[in-house]
This record gives sequence, C-alpha cells and structure tokens, in this order.
Amino acid sequence: MRLFPSAFYIVFAALMLLISAHSLADGRVVDKVYHPYVQALERSIEYRYFYQRQADHPDNNTMGQKLGYGFSVAERAALEIYLIADRVSPEDYKLSGYELELRWMLTEQGQYSADWGMLFELERQNNQDNYEFTTGLLMEKEFGPTSLTLNALAVYEWGKTLNSEWEAEFRAQYRYRWRPAIQPAIELYVGENYKGAGPSLMGVHKFDKQKQLKWELAVIMAIDNDTVDRTLRFALEYEF
Amino acid sequence: MPWQHIALMSLALPVLAEPMLFELQIKDHLFHPSVLYVPAGEKIKLLVLNQDPSPEEFESFSLNREKVILGNSKATLFIGPLQPGRYHFFGEYNPDSAQGVLIALPEAQWQQHREDNAN
Repeated sequence: MRLFPSAFYIVFAALMLLISAHSLADGRVVDKVYHPYVQALERSIEYRYFYQRQADHPDNNTMGQKLGYGFSVAERAALEIYLIADRVSPEDYKLSGYELELRWMLTEQGQYSADWGMLFELERQNNQDNYEFTTGLLMEKEFGPTSLTLNALAVYEWGKTLNSEWEAEFRAQYRYRWRPAIQPAIELYVGENYKGAGPSLMGVHKFDKQKQLKWELAVIMAIDNDTVDRTLRFALEYEF
Repeated sequence: MPWQHIALMSLALPVLAEPMLFELQIKDHLFHPSVLYVPAGEKIKLLVLNQDPSPEEFESFSLNREKVILGNSKATLFIGPLQPGRYHFFGEYNPDSAQGVLIALPEAQWQQHREDNAN
C-alpha cells in the first residue's frame, strides 16, 4: 500500500512529459483546478463561467458556462452532471453539450507526502456527435498554511467534426488558506494553444450546518503569443 | 533536467514511521474529549468514532481537514506535523454542540503532559 503513491508519481511524470512534448487540445483549457478530495454524503449545485478577450485573436469574445449537479456515490467517489453552453465567435450563444464527471479520492488526506485522486469526464457535444473523454491525476500537497494543487489530464477527442486525437492539459493552483472566506492563489494552465497564468481568489461562506457557498474568481493572462490575452474564470458551488 | 522532473523529485518525499494514534468520540453530538493534546512537530493519526446514529462531519479550517463520519461508524484522519498552538474543530452537522480544540504542545510540554497523565 505504501508503494502505490510512488506509482502515481511515475504516471504523473508521464502525463507531464506528454504535455511538454506537444499539446493538441481543441477544448477550453481554463477551468476548475480540481482538489483530490471527496466527502461522503456531499451534494452540490455548481455554476462555472469563463470569458476570453483579445481584439485580434480567434478566441476573442469566447464565453462558456456550465451548470452542474453533483453528489457522492460512495465514501470516496462523486458524480457530477453538467449542462454546457458556449459562445464561439462569430456564432451565437447556445447549449453546446453535456458532461458526466467522476471524481475518485485515492488516498486519505495527509496520509502520504501528497494526496491523490483521479478524474474521469465524458462530454458529448450536441448536434455534432462529438465526444471528449478526459482522465488524469489530481494531486494536492500542504505546505504550512498554503496548498499546492496539480491536475495532469489526458484528453481523447473523437466524433463527426473532430479528428480523433490524444491531448494533454495541465492545471496548477498555489493557494494561501488565509481565512475561510478569502483565500488568494495563483493559477497556471497549459493546453493546446494555451499557456496562461494569473491571480485568483476563492473562499467559502457557511450558512447553516452543511449548507455552504464556495466561490472562485481568476484572471488568467497569456504567457505566450498564441494564447488569448485575458481569460476570466468564475465559479459558484452551493453544497447542501 | 526538465523542470517537471525537478518538481516531481521535490514531491517524492519518503514515507515516515507510523504516526501516533489518538482517539476522539462523538456521542450525543458532542466531542469526547473536547480538548485533545497532541505533540507538535509530528504527524498524528486521529481515529474519530461516531457513536450517534446520525452522521457528523469533523471540520477544521486551521487544520485544513473535513471528514464525514457516518452514523455508528468511524473514520481516520491524518494531521500535521503541526506548529505548537490551538486548532479549533467542530461538527458541521451540529455546530452548536459539537465543538472542540486540539492543542499541539512543544516537545518538553508534551513529555510533561504524558508524565502527568501517567501518574
């Protein structure tokens, strides 16, 4: 049992090398940075939004929204179902697809030198018969009052209007757990035609017992010439 | 050497010896003991036994832990190594009654605490 986190370091390294070799993805890269934890009996409604801006860039004015309902199916596994709406210029805003997501907590928090989980997502695009399957490792490590979270994801796309291909994505978040309501962080995203980083702010507000609202806001800036200049990311998650 | 290798090597720390075990019980929506002394500077294993038929969630922002313990069930949390100090925790399902504090003692005070308890 003690050896198995080492195996994940190896898989994690392989995914990161895949990213460094080439990135091919067609999807959105800036999204939630997933923590590797699942709580039994958790239920949530989640809303995510992103918006991209750069006057002369092909991704200018791109906007996406996701609305999800999640619930734990076991002590260490949770499912979430999403509706996805996108606006890709010059097209109009439309309901573009839906997604099923499974998060699996592999290790108990604090048990090993880092905490590990896995993510599985299957997305179907409406009217185009296109699919995207995403899987990968979620890792978090505590450094005193700060936490480093890494997501190394492999994506396979196929369908009528897509070339079947493997892609890779990498997300990172370094967060200072200042106080529950306000936790500043920096985030990094690497994927197809996208390399960006920027500040983010997140927090949680408790209402009553297990009812709480989590929020996240990030402004991600391009760190190379191919990437759209600015991406705004916003998320709300109500747990009950 | 690629930066990814360096990052991974820095994370691949060795696994240490079995951590010291502490026990916390939940009964009638109260934590027993409500004040728990532990040594600072080392990882501890906290076994939480929920003797109530309803679920409870151990939660602590300062410890960076939350864990649901189903009714008449138990769960294990791994905490620390902690700086000396007080760390508040509560039961998310019954926050008005289920309250507690974990106190991490420096080495000398921890040894003294153990001797006092042994006598």
